[in-house]
Amino acid sequence: MINYILKIEGISKHFFANKVLDDINLKIKKGEVHAVVGENGAGKSTLMKIIGGIYTSSEGKIILDGCEVNFLSPQDAINSGISIVHQELSLAPKLNVAQNIFSHREPVNKLGFIKWAELRYKTRQILKHIGIDIDPSNLVADLSVGMQQIVEIAKALSQNAKIIIFDEPTSALSGKEVNLLYQVINDLKSKGVTIIFISHKLTEVFKISDKISVLRDGKLIGTRKTKETSIEEIIKMMVGRELGNLYPDKSSHIGEKIFSVKGFSRKAEFEGIEFDLYKGEILGFAGLVGSGRTEVARSIFGAEKPEFGEVMLEGKKVEIKSPWDAIKNGICYLTEDRKSWGLFLEKTLRQNIIAASINKFVNKRGFLKNRKIEERAKYFIDYLNIKPADDKSLILNLSGGNQQKTLLAQWLNTEPKILIADEPTRGVDVGAKAEIHKHLRKLVESGVGVIIISSELPEIIGLCDRIAVFNEGKITGILEKDATQEEIMKYATL
Amino acid sequence: MGLNEKFRTITKVNNLGLLTTIVLVIIGMGIFFPRFLLPINIEILAMGFVQEAIMALGMTLIIISAGIDLSIAGVMPFSAIMVGIFLNNNFGITVSILLALLLSALVGFVNAQMINHLKVHPFICTLATLTTLRGINLVITKGETVAGFPPAFYFFGQGRVFGIPFPILLFAVMAIVFAHLLKNHKYFQQVYFIGGNINSARYSGINIDRFIIFIYVLNSILAGIAGIITASQYISANTGFGIGIELRVITVVIIGGASLSGGKGTIGGTILGILFLAIINNTFVQTGAPTYWQEVVYGSMLLIAVFLEEYIGVKRKGTGVLKRWREFML
Amino acid sequence: MEQKNTSQLIINSSNGHLSRLKEILSTREIGLLLIIFVTSILLSIFCENFLTFSNLTSIAIGMNYDVLIALGMTLVLLLGGIDLSVGSILGLTGIITTMLLQAGVSVLFAVILGLLSGTFLGFINGIFIAKFRINPFIVTLGMMAIARGLSVVLTSGYFVSKLPEGYLIIGQGKFLGIPNPLYVMVLFVILFDYLLRKWGPFYKAFYIGTNPDAAELSGINVSLIVLAGYVISGFLSGLAAIFMTSRLAMGYAQFGLGAELKAICSAIIGGASMGGGEGSIIGTFLGVILLALINNGFVLLNLSIYWQGVINGLILVIAITVDAIRRARKGESRA
Repeated sequence: MINYILKIEGISKHFFANKVLDDINLKIKKGEVHAVVGENGAGKSTLMKIIGGIYTSSEGKIILDGCEVNFLSPQDAINSGISIVHQELSLAPKLNVAQNIFSHREPVNKLGFIKWAELRYKTRQILKHIGIDIDPSNLVADLSVGMQQIVEIAKALSQNAKIIIFDEPTSALSGKEVNLLYQVINDLKSKGVTIIFISHKLTEVFKISDKISVLRDGKLIGTRKTKETSIEEIIKMMVGRELGNLYPDKSSHIGEKIFSVKGFSRKAEFEGIEFDLYKGEILGFAGLVGSGRTEVARSIFGAEKPEFGEVMLEGKKVEIKSPWDAIKNGICYLTEDRKSWGLFLEKTLRQNIIAASINKFVNKRGFLKNRKIEERAKYFIDYLNIKPADDKSLILNLSGGNQQKTLLAQWLNTEPKILIADEPTRGVDVGAKAEIHKHLRKLVESGVGVIIISSELPEIIGLCDRIAVFNEGKITGILEKDATQEEIMKYATL
Repeated sequence: MGLNEKFRTITKVNNLGLLTTIVLVIIGMGIFFPRFLLPINIEILAMGFVQEAIMALGMTLIIISAGIDLSIAGVMPFSAIMVGIFLNNNFGITVSILLALLLSALVGFVNAQMINHLKVHPFICTLATLTTLRGINLVITKGETVAGFPPAFYFFGQGRVFGIPFPILLFAVMAIVFAHLLKNHKYFQQVYFIGGNINSARYSGINIDRFIIFIYVLNSILAGIAGIITASQYISANTGFGIGIELRVITVVIIGGASLSGGKGTIGGTILGILFLAIINNTFVQTGAPTYWQEVVYGSMLLIAVFLEEYIGVKRKGTGVLKRWREFML
Repeated sequence: MEQKNTSQLIINSSNGHLSRLKEILSTREIGLLLIIFVTSILLSIFCENFLTFSNLTSIAIGMNYDVLIALGMTLVLLLGGIDLSVGSILGLTGIITTMLLQAGVSVLFAVILGLLSGTFLGFINGIFIAKFRINPFIVTLGMMAIARGLSVVLTSGYFVSKLPEGYLIIGQGKFLGIPNPLYVMVLFVILFDYLLRKWGPFYKAFYIGTNPDAAELSGINVSLIVLAGYVISGFLSGLAAIFMTSRLAMGYAQFGLGAELKAICSAIIGGASMGGGEGSIIGTFLGVILLALINNGFVLLNLSIYWQGVINGLILVIAITVDAIRRARKGESRA
């Protein structure tokens, strides 16, 4: 008899009229490391939240260790031995590590008062177990993002779960911390703990999982043993069609220098940044999370002011003091967090597309030219294949891929000379990813200089003609397009 | 935790500056107005601010939870008026007080339900409650003052226990209890999760809605207590009670180091804030400055307090980037 | 399907006149017009003096101050902020202007200085909010106290009276048989409505209210526009003060008490959202009319003024609730 610790039977979920999960059936063995992959909006997070008691299912049942369970709250799930390590950090910043790890489960005396000494002791135990050296009394707000994610993991571990769910566990971690996480997962596995994790990073999935389940549009497409499948098959299941090339052909012709940065520095963030950008090439910024790439990009764009340094565009020096200056000079920046910093979720597709270029759509006295706006909106929807094609749809109803395409349209509308895209395919499904890559390449071929910041090495290698590798605020090397992952990692961790 | 550690924790949290300012002001006052340091004045100082002090204890919890409660300016006169009406109808002191507090609690409950279910910022919800309550107060009293309080009632505002005025003693006891609970009790600690990162509360299984009800009801009860004490002090109740008090209470809590965005603040800090404002309040008495200036001063204090707390606090974080806009807007 | 404002319509208009007409008819403003229509009918049935010329004119003139303040409030709410000090700024500006007049300053200068002071107070609000990025609730709450306090300090509670004829004309005079305040009111409503929907610099306010961070990264000068919003709000409060003091022929420290609540209420009824990014000038105007009609009903039915406070509070509660439901339904379609 196979020992299934978790059985999902016929789980469906709708939010009002929106069916997000449709008849999911899954069986997970005890001690297994099970990956769940799928496009954005496929329902992975929702499924995890149902297992973890944050949402209730509309239909279906969950059978844990042979018994049917009905979780009405996260607490129920935790009590039954299911813990989640969330993607968005759920720590209270002004409380310390110990309080956060044991949040709501602090050791207390009969009257409910916290036993601080015991709390600190237990915390130290857990941290030692993971192999991390943090003082339990440190405030979470004072920790780096990577460390905070580790605390999040420690929290789940402290719950002595039978099943731990990881939602995009390595998105905020640096190389050293990622290895730590793999160790933790292996360690848990040897102790018989079952692991479910969601990830967009297929190489990672193939490295540590035993089984892979693919979700698409709320349905379970299939489950495969990792050893018996391939990345291509998984991608095909995720996307539902042959994808062809994920990355378009690279540049055949590199032109003259279009952009250069010299001596860019800002205390505690980056130092001595220097690079050139040529027409027709895509330059990549590689490096670990926190190595300063986004800060450099934002400073070039004028969102933050560097302390020293100069920027030359088409041979002339330019002063960029604000995003407005940047846009005027033809430099644009696609933020890495499109929902918070890039798009206007409650507004329509049309309104978003013109957001960065409103001044192009007003007449001499400043009044809006509606017909022109409508034309341009339709043009971009068509050109970038944004769905749904109705330019009056609200952005918040679009999938991640279409939202990112809208962001791209927003900036293409400014007719840039230089485009800096920060994590252009984060949270984007494979299909839209390929489309975005194609458009970036087309852009570069039309004479625009493109810089890509990405934490996904395959993307950097697949897309870029040259790669600038960052480490702790400095560029440690500029590599050619045939660089290997190992080489890049070497420079990123010097 | 030892006494030493407690003190250090209080002063470490942002309050060293405040403590120094208070000490300096006390010294200054002592030099220019020797009467300031007389025990009788200290009592006047304390009694002049005791309503705000009591309400500030509850408001601290509210602000840590990233909320705010403006309705206290309506609850306070409301409970004063109601207790007067009940007493006039011979309900007896205990019953009158309990009923008045019950009604105050009801207001807090309404606030909490609006916040929980309407997903509207507490500022607006409690503003609406405040307006309605003020209207109700007017309707009930028709603009007149409620009188006819039995002598036994005078105790709450004017009586003494061991030589100390009852309200001050009450506040002292409550302050110590609240401080201890907030720092060490598991249930009260929840407020830091709710205010610091709502997900941290949600995913830990904290029952957020119920806790919100708890703190808003508690806050309103405290406002009710303040109202009863005021009625007892003045042996009357009218709609003029508590005008502008919400401003002072909020100022006190923010001066004490709590942040409007939530997740931060201590009772100890609030107490320092109370001390500071009580002294300012007393300077009006000492210098004989017209009361009209008070509103100006309190308004300015609030602006300065928030400015220091939010703006300087941000720079201290040293991220090099000014705070995001999102956090300030509604 | 959520109700749209005309402002959304203009930018999102589709081709075809018939569908455009259908869309216009389903907007919030038309809905409000209907409610106003119904209310008016009810009032004319139950209150015998409602439909008289004098009553209607007094409603219209009384609305003048509320409309001006509510216009400013709509802008501020649109930007994602709030201005609780409008009533106090009205009071203080009125005091300053009338005291200057009493001191013998010419009408022209007094008016200019008065408007400047209102603008300046709005400017201070704006600096704290836009430059130092401090919570607008608290800033304007503090300003509310400061301005009101100063009003009382300056007058010690006394009325400022004996104002020159030249000043009283502003609020009491007529042009072509129609009172001056009405011209100003209608002029500002039409002007602001048009500008907000069609003028680039103002239109950006919608983006700022929706997502100020993204707006900044899109090259919009958020600080400047937010500052401008509060400056305009202060200016309009000052303008309202001038009309009020000249109409009532006196300055009084307590003028404008509670004005902010009425303004917020009107704006929300008119389609502004507490979360920012939405608002309609015409809608706000209709909201003011509605509230004015309801208050008029109180007066005509001889309801004790004490009840007005309660009802106004309850209306605010209802307005918020409806707004909240609207926002929730929008957000839920996201899941």
